[in-house]
Amino acid sequence: MKILVIEDEHSLRENITSYLNVDGNICESCGGLTVALQKLADYDYDCVLLDIGLPDGQGFDVLEFLRTHHKNEAVLIISARNSLDDKLKGLNLGADDYLTKPFHLAELKARLMAVYRRKALNTSNKLIFNEISIDIPGRTVEVNDTPIILTRKEYEMLLYFIANKGKVISKNAIAEHLWGDEMDMHDNFDFIYTHIKNLRRKLLDAGGKDYLTSIYGLGYKFISS
Amino acid sequence: MKLSEHYTRTSVYITLTVLLFGAVIYYFAINYIAQQQLDRGLQQQLTEAEEYARSNDQNPQLYDLDRDHAVFVKTNLQQLQKRFFDTTYFNPKEQRAEAGRAVEDLVKVKNNNYKVVIAISRAGQKYLIEVITIITLTLLAGLLFVLFITNKYLLNGLWKPFRLTLTEIKQFNIADVDQFTGKPSEVDEFTELNEAIREMSLRVTHDYLKLKQFTENASHEMMTPLAVVTTKLDTLIQDETLGADQLAQITDIYSSINKSSRLNHSLLLLAKLENKLITEEEPIELDIMLAEKMQQFQELMQSKNLSFQHQLQPKQILASKYLVDILLNNLFSNAIRHNIIGGVVIIQLTAHSLSIKNSGGVNQLNTDLIFERFQKGKESQGTGLGLTLVKNICQHYGYTIHYHHQTGLHAFVITF
Repeated sequence: MKILVIEDEHSLRENITSYLNVDGNICESCGGLTVALQKLADYDYDCVLLDIGLPDGQGFDVLEFLRTHHKNEAVLIISARNSLDDKLKGLNLGADDYLTKPFHLAELKARLMAVYRRKALNTSNKLIFNEISIDIPGRTVEVNDTPIILTRKEYEMLLYFIANKGKVISKNAIAEHLWGDEMDMHDNFDFIYTHIKNLRRKLLDAGGKDYLTSIYGLGYKFISS
Repeated sequence: MKLSEHYTRTSVYITLTVLLFGAVIYYFAINYIAQQQLDRGLQQQLTEAEEYARSNDQNPQLYDLDRDHAVFVKTNLQQLQKRFFDTTYFNPKEQRAEAGRAVEDLVKVKNNNYKVVIAISRAGQKYLIEVITIITLTLLAGLLFVLFITNKYLLNGLWKPFRLTLTEIKQFNIADVDQFTGKPSEVDEFTELNEAIREMSLRVTHDYLKLKQFTENASHEMMTPLAVVTTKLDTLIQDETLGADQLAQITDIYSSINKSSRLNHSLLLLAKLENKLITEEEPIELDIMLAEKMQQFQELMQSKNLSFQHQLQPKQILASKYLVDILLNNLFSNAIRHNIIGGVVIIQLTAHSLSIKNSGGVNQLNTDLIFERFQKGKESQGTGLGLTLVKNICQHYGYTIHYHHQTGLHAFVITF
């Protein structure tokens, strides 16, 4: 997957690129509107990560550019503005999703994978990871061709872990993903443990490998191999 | 009272007062002039009578034998001040008494002193005053009538542009793109008024946009560093050499960042609410939304072994879904956070009110401070802005919220 990160904050840009630069992804980045438009004119990307507030203009111009040049990049807006106006404007201009700062890198990756899958129009519509096969439109999961029944939260969690395979994910990030950042979870993450325990047991019961490991009290990791 | 009524009233009072004063002065003036005229006539007759008496040297009593005009009476008085006075005059033709005017004086004829009194009728003068009074009263009535009509129809017409301007001001909404235009008027004052309002509305709209921009910029400025810290931590925890101690520290940092970004969101939202920057509204089925919230908070409930009791009647409100979501999140979150293990959360929705009650501490909370910013319990992990947000959102939509504590239940009741 070829990704372009348009973000003016230098350290944020670096962290995003290094986090995304795995599994054969090629991640490029730039910090301004002019350079971004130049890159988009010269190359094709699969996904664009777009910050709205850029030093030399509004990120909305990138969306206009993509539309007028009939380019098919999936766009995920990352904005500090939690304003409904901006959100609607971005989505109307052809963005695929909108993520408000501050965000977790795991959340960013999961959203990016989701918009990419939607846009790429895979013929199979299946996400396959080793023995696990997920039918995205049908929301069904099979392990070694045996269907397993997952709750909505377990299903979302599995997708989230696969998108961030091989990475340590904090409980905060998981809670925000499953319950949304508007909901205050009172720093009580016991219920995450319950969901994870159930998901792990279901995968194991169907003959899958044990992918989930706990990283002390901080979070979890879905082992990539 | 309308301005035109005020104006009519004042103008009628002034007109009446001026005219009444005028009438009184007029009456006395005419009376005085008429009296002067009569007195002059009397003086002339007196002179004639004296001339007659002196030249003829005879008994002046013969001067006017029928005694209807002049009366000579022999007297022993040596001196008499000449005086004019009002009296009754007997009209010999019509055989009746009338108001009259008379003069008396002393005449010397051949060493005899005579007191002469000459009287004439005042009927003519009275008649004149009557006619003048009638004319004046008719004029007064006519003037009042004309004033009424003018004020009622003409003034109302004159104020029409003002009413149009007023209607437009009432419809003015700062968040609208439409500007105040003001219908053109031939009256300079109204044109000036429209001009002033237009300028003011432009200024206000400009300030409003600036404020909006400021809140957004502030949000941007604060959220970006928070995003940097979060992503740095996300990267840091990938390091496999970190031990349990370091990871525990990082967990705390995550919590703090989470809290500060929550705090920042809340403060910005409060600012937006206070500046009335949130204007989008949609119909919301509150009963359905509450049912969804109960679902959403299920895990949190289970972690404290709490149970919901609910009575939900269908209720639709017109509000921003975003705000109602925050409102309910805060109320639910508080009801769970401050609950006891194995407690209850009771939700009742009727057409007029929503009440959320929870079991909890035995002490009543301070009702004065509970909705204030950063007022929170000692053990509370919240931002201290939750209930302030709840109250401001209620105010935003004209709902009232109050708290009371009864038999171990803390209740928050919103009245629509």
